Amino acid sequence: MGSVQVKNLVKKYDKAIALKGVDLDIKEGEFYALLGPSGCGKTTTMRCIAGFETPTSGEILIGDKVVNNVPANRRNCGMVFQSYALFPHYNVFENVAYSLTIRDLYSGSLGQRIKTFGRLMSKRLGKPTKEIEKKVQDALDYVELGHLADRGVNELSGGQQQRVALARALVMEPSVLLMDEPLSNLDKKLRNTMRTTIRKIQQDLKITTIFVTHDQEEAMSMADHVAVMRDGEIVQMATPTELYSNPKDPFVADFVGSSNIYKGQVLKKNEKGNTVVKITDEIVLESETHTDKSEVEVLVRPEGIEIIREASTPKTENVVEAKVKVSTYLGPTIRYDIELDGMDVMVEEEFQPNTALYKEGDIIKVHLPSERVLLI
Amino acid sequence: MSSVNQDKQPKKDTKFRGWLRTIDSLKVMKWVVYLFFFLFLVLPLVSVFLVSFTGQPVNLLGSLVNPDIMATNIERLSNASFEHYSLLLGGTYFSALQNSLALAIGVSILVILMCIPLAYAFARTTMPYKKTLAALCTIPLIVPTFISAAGFIIMFGRTGWVNTMYQSLGFDGVLIDAYSMTSIVLIQVFFFFPFALWPMVAAFKIADISLEEASNNMGAKNWSTMVFITFPLAIPGIISAALLIFTVSFSDFGTPIILAPDGLNLIVVEAYREISGFFNWAGASILTIVMVAVAAIFFWLQRYVTKNMDYGTLSGKPKGTKLNDSKIVTRSLLVFTILVLVLPMSAIFSVLLQSFATTWGTGLLPRGFTMDHYATVFTRSGDNILNSILLAGGALIISVIVATLVSYFVVRENTSKLDFMSSIPLIVPGIALGIAYIQTFNTAPLQLTGTAFLLIVAYAVRRMPYMIRSTMGTMMAIKSDIEEAAVNLGASKLVAIITVVGPLMLPGIAAGSILVFVTVIKETSITVLMAPSDWAPMSLMVFQNLLRGEVYTASAMAMLIIVLVIILQTAANKITKNSLY
Repeated sequence: MGSVQVKNLVKKYDKAIALKGVDLDIKEGEFYALLGPSGCGKTTTMRCIAGFETPTSGEILIGDKVVNNVPANRRNCGMVFQSYALFPHYNVFENVAYSLTIRDLYSGSLGQRIKTFGRLMSKRLGKPTKEIEKKVQDALDYVELGHLADRGVNELSGGQQQRVALARALVMEPSVLLMDEPLSNLDKKLRNTMRTTIRKIQQDLKITTIFVTHDQEEAMSMADHVAVMRDGEIVQMATPTELYSNPKDPFVADFVGSSNIYKGQVLKKNEKGNTVVKITDEIVLESETHTDKSEVEVLVRPEGIEIIREASTPKTENVVEAKVKVSTYLGPTIRYDIELDGMDVMVEEEFQPNTALYKEGDIIKVHLPSERVLLI
Repeated sequence: MSSVNQDKQPKKDTKFRGWLRTIDSLKVMKWVVYLFFFLFLVLPLVSVFLVSFTGQPVNLLGSLVNPDIMATNIERLSNASFEHYSLLLGGTYFSALQNSLALAIGVSILVILMCIPLAYAFARTTMPYKKTLAALCTIPLIVPTFISAAGFIIMFGRTGWVNTMYQSLGFDGVLIDAYSMTSIVLIQVFFFFPFALWPMVAAFKIADISLEEASNNMGAKNWSTMVFITFPLAIPGIISAALLIFTVSFSDFGTPIILAPDGLNLIVVEAYREISGFFNWAGASILTIVMVAVAAIFFWLQRYVTKNMDYGTLSGKPKGTKLNDSKIVTRSLLVFTILVLVLPMSAIFSVLLQSFATTWGTGLLPRGFTMDHYATVFTRSGDNILNSILLAGGALIISVIVATLVSYFVVRENTSKLDFMSSIPLIVPGIALGIAYIQTFNTAPLQLTGTAFLLIVAYAVRRMPYMIRSTMGTMMAIKSDIEEAAVNLGASKLVAIITVVGPLMLPGIAAGSILVFVTVIKETSITVLMAPSDWAPMSLMVFQNLLRGEVYTASAMAMLIIVLVIILQTAANKITKNSLY
């Protein structure tokens, strides 16, 4: 088990720069997600940690050891590949047993090594040791595939293949578990189940895990910490809640969830200590965010906006009139696309069975609570 | 003092061990492969090149160890001139080149046209009797071209049974003259097509099925999917197959040596005559350079065309194939396949009949039947059979090891130098390679001429490109993450190659091995030139018997070769089938 530290990692290719100085500090037992659009360098970062890519400069530490010069096969990083990369010529058991068998191949007497080698070439040439058999069976039972040990990997469903890949990575007791978009080949329902499974296993084993994904929902729901990457750099590192409620810039805000983002001018601070910001002549809002800038991005999450239904509750500040353009029923929530003084705004409201939906053209009043108005 | 020494001793040892550990076993392999190609390919060819200027043998290896040889060589080189090249402008060499080019291009086009429906039938349809037909379609590969030529003479000679039949139907003259360009073209087309067929079947198979489904899904009819999706996806495979046929036809020597009429001048025959008849080192090496140059141009062309094309992939994820089961399609393809097989099968059948014939003059059938020829073969030529198997086996082992490593280095590490080097034999005719070997390894320090070892190496080098093409195709289809997974799980690169990449390449290796084994057993040009008399293989016996006019024993031995290869091939197929996924 180990922590992972990455210090000023740079990776240059002939023409492009993939990583421009990435720093990561991942504590032991942490579940860490690298989140970003394709081409942002998240996979390259992971491949550098695994040892498949040689960094141009920078340091990588696993535990307390600098591993830059340790070849990929001695880093003890279990990796789950996007395509699973199961060995099609081995069955489930042999796939999972591979790392343990290889370990035997590098130790023991010459005779034993020859036997081990034979076993790697064909299962007819030798039986696995008791120890390997037990470990593999345990790992397979753990991912609930114990009964499929003798199957060919091509006879398994996508979800089962995924779990074989996981078991194969776990059985070697890696110091770090690396997962490269492991869920992207699964359908939505299976993806949700696997999310829970992976998270549970990670918590059970307290294994340091790095998880690469472009799916914010995946990253936010599973990880302890998320690093959002763009163009070979880390934009923000934070816990999921922090990332959502306090994004560092519009890119992050937009990437970790749908949001309304507008340009605004800071006017002054009012008596409550709130910042007053002007978006249009009509729309001037208070925000609890403090800022030194005069030009800011104003961010309001769709679910942070309240629709005022009773005229009786007077709310003076941050209440504006709006026109409904589209209403979309999404099941648990309703989304309204509304217009505020010529600006398009998205609002999400929980569905209440006894309230009527607004229709296109309705004029409504909305409240943008000052704590939900973020200035970036 | 001594204590100091004792201290130093173990230190040195650990240093050495440390140094040993830093050696990348894979890198060592790479250098071994490089050395192999340098010694047995580059060196002989450079020698031939020099000889084309000096007109006399040069000993390059000897120059490195012996100053006297060095001096002789320098003197010969200083007398080098373009004098011999002026021969090229004159009549015979030039017309030989023209004729050979026309032959090779024509044969390639015909073979590809013929193989497109065949390959589609085998790869993508539920054509009935597929297994039997596939087996029959590999048979032409087994037959050395000079045996097919003998078969053609039995069929189309002046007293041949086809021509007899033709005349009895009331026609005058002959249907096809056995000794003509037409019959050379026919033999090459119908006996070389399997070289193109199996790579093309592979190309049709590897093309991503989901793309076709997508095309159908978007409303395309089956035939337009076939024309616009399936076919273009298979084009890299088709082009490389055409190239293969071109060079095979261009450097084939068994057919023309037997069937070329006096007026028809082909470059390979010309080169052979210069060597074996006149020992004209200069003329032969010039013809060799010309042949290599022509083939090199075609090779470059193929590279240029396929450069931007991507190959399909075989990932860790399984993928299903949908086969065309339309009755009209499968039935007509079946008829077509059978028609293609008629000619080569009749030729082989003719040889078979002759091997049992007492005598066979004019007439549809031999006068009578006997087993005498087989008895003669077994009592006199048992050793030749064993020699063939040992030589082919040795060549096979060398090619499997080298081809697997080369494919790996080329595909994974982009070692284009090795790719280039390993494809050189494709453009070097057997006679040229044979001459180059004889000349290069004639004297110390590496005196190998006349040994079975050199013959084996020559076989292996000559057939290497076919092996590599086969292994490279499968190598390309193995996604690199499967190998990375093995490394990630603790295997060193070499162990990953042996345990994961190797087994996954097995279908490719097996397919290539079959080709290598089969072609080595029937190899003529190198065998004729290089086989030491105590290692004479079967093909040499057949060739010599044919020349001596012992046609019946030659036929019997030829049938033996054919049967032997069929047995081996079936065995090899069984092995591969068990390890296919």
